[in-house]
Amino acid sequence: MAGWRSRFFRIGIILSMLGAFYLVALASQAERDQLRSIDVHLTPTCSEKLQAYGLTVADEYRSPYIVKAGGNPVSAAGYTAEDVRAIQRGCNIVDDLQGHLSPTGVRERWNATRFVRGTHTTCTHCHQSAGDKHDAEGKRPVGSNNLGASWVMADMYDRFTGMILSNELRQMQCFINSSNGFKPNISDDVIRDVTAYSRFLAAALDLKMGVRYPEQGLDEIPASATSRRGDDYVRGARLYAETCASCHGPQGFGLVVEGRAVYPAVAGPHSFSTDSRMNFAAVNTIMPGFICRNMPPGAEGSLDNQQCRDIAYFLSTLPRPAGDLKGPLSAVWQQAMMKIMPPLTRYAESIGRGQSLQSDQ
Amino acid sequence: MSVRTRPWVKHFALSSVPVAAIVLVAIFAHFGPSAGTWRAQLPPAPGWSEFQSANGIDEFGEDGYFIRAVQHGYGLFYYTTEYAPRFTRRTSTDAVHSCSGCHSVEDLAHGLVTSDRFDTVLRKRVSFEERVMRCYAQHLDGFVPTIYDPAVRDLRILARAVGHHLQLSEGVRRQKE
Repeated sequence: MAGWRSRFFRIGIILSMLGAFYLVALASQAERDQLRSIDVHLTPTCSEKLQAYGLTVADEYRSPYIVKAGGNPVSAAGYTAEDVRAIQRGCNIVDDLQGHLSPTGVRERWNATRFVRGTHTTCTHCHQSAGDKHDAEGKRPVGSNNLGASWVMADMYDRFTGMILSNELRQMQCFINSSNGFKPNISDDVIRDVTAYSRFLAAALDLKMGVRYPEQGLDEIPASATSRRGDDYVRGARLYAETCASCHGPQGFGLVVEGRAVYPAVAGPHSFSTDSRMNFAAVNTIMPGFICRNMPPGAEGSLDNQQCRDIAYFLSTLPRPAGDLKGPLSAVWQQAMMKIMPPLTRYAESIGRGQSLQSDQ
Repeated sequence: MSVRTRPWVKHFALSSVPVAAIVLVAIFAHFGPSAGTWRAQLPPAPGWSEFQSANGIDEFGEDGYFIRAVQHGYGLFYYTTEYAPRFTRRTSTDAVHSCSGCHSVEDLAHGLVTSDRFDTVLRKRVSFEERVMRCYAQHLDGFVPTIYDPAVRDLRILARAVGHHLQLSEGVRRQKE
């Protein structure tokens, strides 16, 4: 009899737990449905951009950007209110992943912080101007990581992973490596909204399917594009101190104002991981390309190819989180370095400054 | 001499079971019904060469991987019962037994560029992949592949290749003829 009671009790507990999980799933789904239906509070960048591109609920979409440029825009399928909200949320996620500019916090970003480890990461740090950068003349700069151009060239073979990468899988890689975080589900609203926004950019800019535009991705700079002096992290350290440290900090930890990363970390615990393509030690052409084409803001193109490679080399020597592929020993080592190196570097630099003051006197 | 007196025989027999299982899986992966999906070289489906040249497949994609995926997509589209038998109950004797029974490849390309929109019937935004999965389950009277399955992915890549050939922009609808 006692055995039956015990068995019945255990089955009851299991059924209760399954029921509780089911209720939690239902509540989560209902919350998502509610979030999908509420009006979106746009960030200033997104508000300006989406207004300029004429995003409204309509049966037909004709890009005002193309009209303004003197072109004849194609007639594209319009957007429903649900589509418009998805595009707006996608823009917000790209511009402000951590929800600092949202009145309801990160909830309006589908709690995207659960997919990143640091507090700095947002897509717009690499995909500048919410993934759609324009120069002073209104042109889209070469190698500016345009998200619309990425969408039309998705599904290509990726030489780093050896896979055909869809747009969604590429976004997942950004979360894992560039954000040193975790992979969202391919059907997660975070991924789907960013895809919706990228596709809208492709429509607004009238980008053709499968065409490689210069603003797509980064303009890689191999050693062969330099005068072959060789990459030098000592030169890179000096250049970094002169050109980059005023924004990113002397040790690359970024600048945070009122909890928001104004300038992102390029080293340390809030930075991209060692598995990221931005890591010069992993791929030595991408970070120099990003620096040369996009840095420093307002003075892009002021650094030559060798200088960009030197700075990227120096950055790769700074401690940062180990990527998942590197294994636990590397992770422990990098964690230790991120603790030990900053005070040691400060101390070493203070000695250097003292000696230089004495020699000046 | 009985087996009881030779324990190594029993030990050998037990340890060979997992090895045999692994060998069987490897043989199945090599010769199995979907083996074509995993091979580096696909035997071309009838009409592939003509399709390839007519749609300029070789001019798009930076490598053979993309073209191979398009080739597999072509097989899935025109010969669904042979290329995706796991996901359809239809046979070649049915009137409609492939994607091409309802759609043209141009439809597919336009379907890609106008996907990810709100569907008034389903009351939600529907991606291209979900449409393909629904086609397998409903129109092809079969089963839903996962979103990562080559049976879904390669149809999207086929649509992308044709979309490139037609120079489609995002959201462009097909003109009624």
